[in-house]
Amino acid sequence: MDQKTISQDILLRMVKAFVKNEVAPYDMEIDHTRSYVNNLWSKVKENDFLSLMLPEEYGGAGFNGRTSAKVINEIAKGNASLAVTLEGHFKSVDQIVKYGNDELKNEYLPQAKNRIIAFSMTEPSGGSNPMGINSHAEKRGDKWIINGDKIMITNGGLAEIYCVLVKTAPDELSFFVVDNEMEGFEYGKQENFLGLTGVPVGEIVMNNIEVDESHLLGKVGMGKEIGDSAHDDARVLMGAVLTGIMEHELDLVTDYATHRKAIDTPIIQMQGIQRKIADIAISKETTKLLYQKAAWMKDHGQDYEEEAAMAKAYGSRSAVKAGDDSLQILGGYGYSLDYPIEHLIRDARAMEIAEGTVEKMRTAIALKEAESRA
Amino acid sequence: MKIVVGIKQVPETTNVKINEKTKNIDRRGISGVINQYDRHALEAAFEIKAKTNAEVIVMTMGPDDFVVSLQEALALGADSAVLLSDRAFAGADTLATGYVLSEAIKKIGDVDLVLLGQQSVDADTGQMGPIISEFLDISQVTYASKLDVEEGGLRIKRYLENIEQDITAKLPVLVTVTDQANDPKYVNIVEIAKSFEKEVTTWHASDLNLDADRVGQAGSPSVVRSISSPKEVVKDNYKLPDNPQDAADELVKILKDKNILVEDK
Repeated sequence: MDQKTISQDILLRMVKAFVKNEVAPYDMEIDHTRSYVNNLWSKVKENDFLSLMLPEEYGGAGFNGRTSAKVINEIAKGNASLAVTLEGHFKSVDQIVKYGNDELKNEYLPQAKNRIIAFSMTEPSGGSNPMGINSHAEKRGDKWIINGDKIMITNGGLAEIYCVLVKTAPDELSFFVVDNEMEGFEYGKQENFLGLTGVPVGEIVMNNIEVDESHLLGKVGMGKEIGDSAHDDARVLMGAVLTGIMEHELDLVTDYATHRKAIDTPIIQMQGIQRKIADIAISKETTKLLYQKAAWMKDHGQDYEEEAAMAKAYGSRSAVKAGDDSLQILGGYGYSLDYPIEHLIRDARAMEIAEGTVEKMRTAIALKEAESRA
Repeated sequence: MKIVVGIKQVPETTNVKINEKTKNIDRRGISGVINQYDRHALEAAFEIKAKTNAEVIVMTMGPDDFVVSLQEALALGADSAVLLSDRAFAGADTLATGYVLSEAIKKIGDVDLVLLGQQSVDADTGQMGPIISEFLDISQVTYASKLDVEEGGLRIKRYLENIEQDITAKLPVLVTVTDQANDPKYVNIVEIAKSFEKEVTTWHASDLNLDADRVGQAGSPSVVRSISSPKEVVKDNYKLPDNPQDAADELVKILKDKNILVEDK
């Protein structure tokens, strides 16, 4: 066995045990209290989950995209919120690794072991349309002065470092890295979302934040490219989260149907129930194959935009449908707030919107299909 | 102090299936993990290491893929690892396994403490510790629930059914550890890559001073003739009243009716 395989096996053993003991038993409580109870966040940091994808030269574990996605998948089986919190950090770390200059990398990547990095594009005036944003950066001497308001940031409030999309000219988008210790940085409103309630989603306000040129991510005008790259990374990991949600749904519904009897027969023997459970299993396996293919392509330097969009578009709709079918099988228990099915539907529903709507995914897929035939 | 910790890689799931032909555990498609009791033995070794700077060597016998468990033990904090792997070892029962492990411990030399989990969760015999200690001709303490280092030896607590034993053991000694002894830590994710700087040595049959008739299937006097899963027993169910006082009264009545609770006369 080679080192890579052994490392991955040890990692996945550890993650499964961690999820079983520290995450899954608190799934409902995390949803109800909207927080990572039982010191979960401290345990995540202590065991270096934040360093999973971070290159070894910056003190990280240096696992590749496919392994990291499998870890996200395992965590999501226990609690989807925690998986999405880590996804938000990983995609942000990835963009600094990919586009950061040496000074920026040396300053922030070693900190990524303990401080969450977030990625913020959306504003009250624009989400899916990045040219609609108002935040801007102005060059004064050798400094950039940043002003603006970013909302609905995954991990907003929990994260301490932010990659922010701003305009550097009326038709020019660029990314800068700011942190919560800078003068002019303020936290704003926290969102009160329907699902993934463990994930803090919030606002930051930037009032004349002054940064050096080194805090520019990539080059001036690369905002769209970096944003697209972050989205692609996030969508692969969301495919992994959605697979985990469907595995959770499948466990619950199969166990229930095996033990619940009607007319002295376990309901899993009934064809109407079997069809629903089989469809959930097919959707779960398809989403898993899609995200793993996209992650493999990423690790091998191939263009994975279309596959990442497919994993998220197919996985999110399928997980909501699988949750709805599971709820129907569990009947009154499924509809109860005391059972987890309902929050799995709310969690999955978030991913039909976040990191690009499913409509936007289909546009990306169709354009890629056309491009490949041009 | 030199400590050897014996570990076993066991199937991950508790839903173990039996192969009807071989009468053995069907390991196909099931990934392995370190036997949970052995995690407590490892943690006990790391606690002693933290206090005494002891050297911790982890050892297992099995096929090549058991190296994952050894590497995991290295990532957890062991200093070096030994894999005992040879086709000749296949089919070994507890006696033949204990013989090979004890010869490997002799080869390491000057071992002060041998630690094992109280039993494995797949075979559940609990025999390995006593067998190895007999072959090594050293003292043994089984089912240790608390271990402390003291001058010249160990202070050990055993919590047995109706008694608690407080034992002082001189070195060298073999100790089997229960799951009450400590709270094993998870592997730190960053430490996994660093663990490859440490060494895993593989010893084959020819590397040890072994009597060929005492290893593998040939050296195993016990034969599994049949093995089966226990049948699920459906117990009586009672619905107790909601009121705690009524529920207690009803429960006492049921227990008396079944002669489980008998009035003191």
